[in-house]
Amino acid sequence: MEKEKIYKIDEHEPRRPFNVPEGYFDNLTQNIMASLPQQESIYSTRITVTPWMRIRPYLYAAAAFTGIFFCIKAAVGISSRNSATDTAHAEETTIYSDEYIDSFLETAMIDDCTLYYTLVDVN
Amino acid sequence: MAYDEHRILEMLHEDDISRRRAFESIVRNFSEQLYWQIRHMVLSHDDANDILQNTFIKAWTNLDSFMGYSRISTWLYRIAINETLTFLNRQRATIPLETDDDDGLSIADRLESDPYFDGDLTERQLQEAIATLPDKQRLVFNMKYFNEMKYEEISEALGTSVGALKASFHIAVKKIEEYFNNVD
Repeated sequence: MEKEKIYKIDEHEPRRPFNVPEGYFDNLTQNIMASLPQQESIYSTRITVTPWMRIRPYLYAAAAFTGIFFCIKAAVGISSRNSATDTAHAEETTIYSDEYIDSFLETAMIDDCTLYYTLVDVN
Repeated sequence: MAYDEHRILEMLHEDDISRRRAFESIVRNFSEQLYWQIRHMVLSHDDANDILQNTFIKAWTNLDSFMGYSRISTWLYRIAINETLTFLNRQRATIPLETDDDDGLSIADRLESDPYFDGDLTERQLQEAIATLPDKQRLVFNMKYFNEMKYEEISEALGTSVGALKASFHIAVKKIEEYFNNVD
């Protein structure tokens, strides 16, 4: 019986069965270098960092913080103004002493009933 | 100028003339080995030449993104491999399915009529067998078998562990031998 032929990779010497046009590798570096874009075109696509571009993020951050500061300040201002108004109103109600009110009532020539209605209307 | 990677890296950060001179040194040092790596994948000289040009153009235009964390050869291999795989995927998408014969004669026919292929029948069949492998396995096989690269070098270029590469090469060899034994 004929023995079956078995192909074994390691029984064959690796050989490159390809070739190239004559002088291809001699001129390859030159050809590749000639095909590269010029330096100018590379540099033209490069972004030049100007001083303005460098400080811009800091300015934006400062503007944002200033905005936030004023917002907070405005909010705090409104609430403190409200509390100040309340305090002023409270002060208005306590500014007159009892003696002043008594003397006012004595000279106002009004009876108790009129005083009552006056107080009810005011409140 | 002798190739000195450390000096080349320095020159790449200098003025335009130094940059270009350093890149020229890189091209001179790596173009041939990259060409063969690409050629084994795409088979045609014209396609390999185009992909090689694109590889170096891409490297040149992205020179600023190369930070020197890996070796220049690794960086170039990665670009070349990406360019090659993109080309092959595009080729598969554009070539009509009927040319991809079941008996696999299309590659043999192409190679037989290729003026830049000088292999015999066994070598044509070997190329056919290699073409049946998945892209990654084919890359590993070509790098190891034809380019005689060390597993460590392949590992660096492909970002795959040495163990996985050894397994991949072993499977590729088995598939190729099986292909031959079935053909015979």
